[in-house]
Amino acid sequence: MFSLPETTFSFGGDEYIHAEITRDMKIESNFKALAVTKELKRRNIPGIQDVVSSNASYLVRYNPDIISGKDLVEYMREIDFTKSDPAKLDLSVRLIEIPIWYDDPITAEYSARYKDRHPDPTRSNFEFCMKVNGFTDKQAFIEHHSSSPYLVTMIGFLPGTAWHFPLGLQSKEVIQAPKYNSPRMETPERSIGIGGAFNVIYPANGSGSYNLVGMSAVPVFDMSKRLPCLEDSPFLARLGDIWKYRPIEESEYCHIRSKVEDGTYRFNIRNIHLSPLEYVNRGKDYIQELLEDQ
Amino acid sequence: MIVVKEAGLWTTVQDTGRSGGYHLGVPPSGAADQYSYYIGNLLVANPAHFAALEMTLMGGTFLFHKNTVIALTGAPMKAYLNHELVPFWEALEVKEGDVLTIKECRKGVKSYLCVSGGIQVEDVFGSKSTYEVSKIGGFKGRKLQSGDELSISEPLPGAFKQVGKSAPLEYTPTFNEFQELRVIMGLSSYLVSDEGLKNFLTTEWKVSYESNRVAYRYTGGNVSFTGQHPPFGAGESLSNVVDFAFPIGSIMFTNEKELIILHNDATTGGGYVTVGTVISQDLDLMAQLRPASTSRFITVTFEQAMEVRAERRKQLEIMEEMLLRS
Repeated sequence: MFSLPETTFSFGGDEYIHAEITRDMKIESNFKALAVTKELKRRNIPGIQDVVSSNASYLVRYNPDIISGKDLVEYMREIDFTKSDPAKLDLSVRLIEIPIWYDDPITAEYSARYKDRHPDPTRSNFEFCMKVNGFTDKQAFIEHHSSSPYLVTMIGFLPGTAWHFPLGLQSKEVIQAPKYNSPRMETPERSIGIGGAFNVIYPANGSGSYNLVGMSAVPVFDMSKRLPCLEDSPFLARLGDIWKYRPIEESEYCHIRSKVEDGTYRFNIRNIHLSPLEYVNRGKDYIQELLEDQ
Repeated sequence: MIVVKEAGLWTTVQDTGRSGGYHLGVPPSGAADQYSYYIGNLLVANPAHFAALEMTLMGGTFLFHKNTVIALTGAPMKAYLNHELVPFWEALEVKEGDVLTIKECRKGVKSYLCVSGGIQVEDVFGSKSTYEVSKIGGFKGRKLQSGDELSISEPLPGAFKQVGKSAPLEYTPTFNEFQELRVIMGLSSYLVSDEGLKNFLTTEWKVSYESNRVAYRYTGGNVSFTGQHPPFGAGESLSNVVDFAFPIGSIMFTNEKELIILHNDATTGGGYVTVGTVISQDLDLMAQLRPASTSRFITVTFEQAMEVRAERRKQLEIMEEMLLRS
C-alpha cells in the first residue's frame, strides 16, 4: 500500500545530498521522508551536519572532509530502501488550533505593494486564491480552507515556518495557487500564505512567494519565552503535528494579540496518536475519527 | 571592549556558522566570504571559528578599550589607526584608546575585522553568527549600531608575536567585476529545456541590487522551461515544484528571466525550479560581487568539486605554516 518509486539522489554542490522521493506531493512520500530521516538521525554518523525531512524529499548536509559524498549516497540509498516503512512510524503528535483572521487589511496591503510580481496584478492574493479555485463566495472559501486539518509536512524557509498540507481530501478538492513570479522582499510576520497545495504561516518579516490570505493571531516562532508553549523551544511546529484553523474576526484577533503580548494566551493543544497506516487505509474517515475522539 | 562609534552600513558578528538547525529552518549564517574571514583569524593566531566583525561596503569607527592584535581582510577599504593609514591582510597592534576608522571599499563587498581571542557574544544554536531576519545570534540578534559596546577576549598568549605578519598577495582574493562560478548541475534541472540550459551557461548574468546575505539575484538572461505540467502540489506556474529543502548555493529560477542563488542566511526551503548548486568555495567569491557586476556559470563534476576543495585545503595549510609556525 506504500508503493513509491525509487528515490532519486542528487548532489547539491559539494556539501549537500538531495533525495527526491516523488516529484508530486503525496502524504505517503512525506511519511517515508520522516521514516528515513529518523533512522539517519538515529545513527548519528560523524560528518553529517543536518538531516532535513521535507514534503516529498529529504536533504542531508555533510562535511566532505570527514565522509565521502559518493559513499554517503550509497549509505543513504540502503537506508532509503530498508528503513522506510511508514507503517512502523509511531507518531505521538499534537493537534493545535490556529485562529486566523481571513482577508484582512494587512495582507491586502502587501498584495497591493507587490502586485507587479504577481501572476495576476489586478486582484488581491485572497481574491486570486478564490478565483483560481473557483470560489465566488468569500465565506464558502473560508469554510473550505479552514475545515480540513493540516499535517505539518516540512519546516524551514525561515526558522519556524511550517509547510502544512490538508488531510483527508482528494487532490482535486485541495485549494491550490501558483507562487509569485518573483518573490516579495517583505512579508508580514504571522501572515498565512498558500503556494501550490501547501499553506505556511510566516514566522517573521522576510521574503516570500506564497499568496497571503490572512493573519494568524498566534506566533509560530517566538524567542521571548513569554508563552509557556514556546518556552522550551521557540518553534511551534513539529513534523507530524496537525494544525486546525479557526476563522476569527478582527475583534477576536486583537483580543488574542493582546493576550499573546502579555503572555496570558494559552494554545488550544491536544495530544493525539497518528497512525500513517490507518490514514493511508482509511483516509478521511480516520481523520474525522481522530478529530472527534477524546 | 570595543565601542562602536560608527557602525557602517551593515556590520554583524559572524563566525564559521551553525549546523544542526537546518531542519527547523535555521540557516548556517556565518561569514559570507569564509576564506577572507579565515585568513583574518590566522593572522591573529585565532582558531578558525572565532567570531569576527563582517562589514559591508563601508567599515565603521571603533574605539578599543584593550591592548590587542587585530587584522583586516576581505574587500580592501581604506583604514586608519588613529590617523595613520594601516594595511589590510596584516596583523596590527592596537593600544587601549586607539580609534580604528574604516572607510568604504571600491572593490568587493565584505571585509572582516578579526581580533585576537575573538568577539565575545553568546552562542545561539551553537554559533555566534548573526542571523538578522529572525534576530538570532550575534550582538542582540542584529547589525551593529553606534554606541554598541562589544566584549572582546583577552589577547591569546603569544598573539603579539603575530604583529607585522602579512598574507602574501598571491593568497588574497582579487575582487573582480566579473566572476566565473562553478556549479554542480542537478536537482530539478529536468524542468528547464535544453535551449534554456544552454542559455543559462552562455549568458553573462548581472548581479541585481536586491542581493544580500540571504541570496544573490541575477538578471540578464532568459531560460525557457520544458512546459511540463507542474506536478500535483507544486502550484500552476511552470517554475513551480513541490517545496523542498534547498542546499546553500542552489540556483533557482522563479521565472524565466531571474535567477536566485542562496547564500549563508538562506531561506532553507521553497518551491521553484533549481538547476544546480554553486560549489562552496565559489560562494565566497559571489559574496564579494557588487551590484551590476557579472557572472558566468561553469559546470563541474562532483569529482572536480572535490579537487577544488582539496586545493583550497592545501592553500590554507601553506598559509597556516607561513603565519603560525614561522
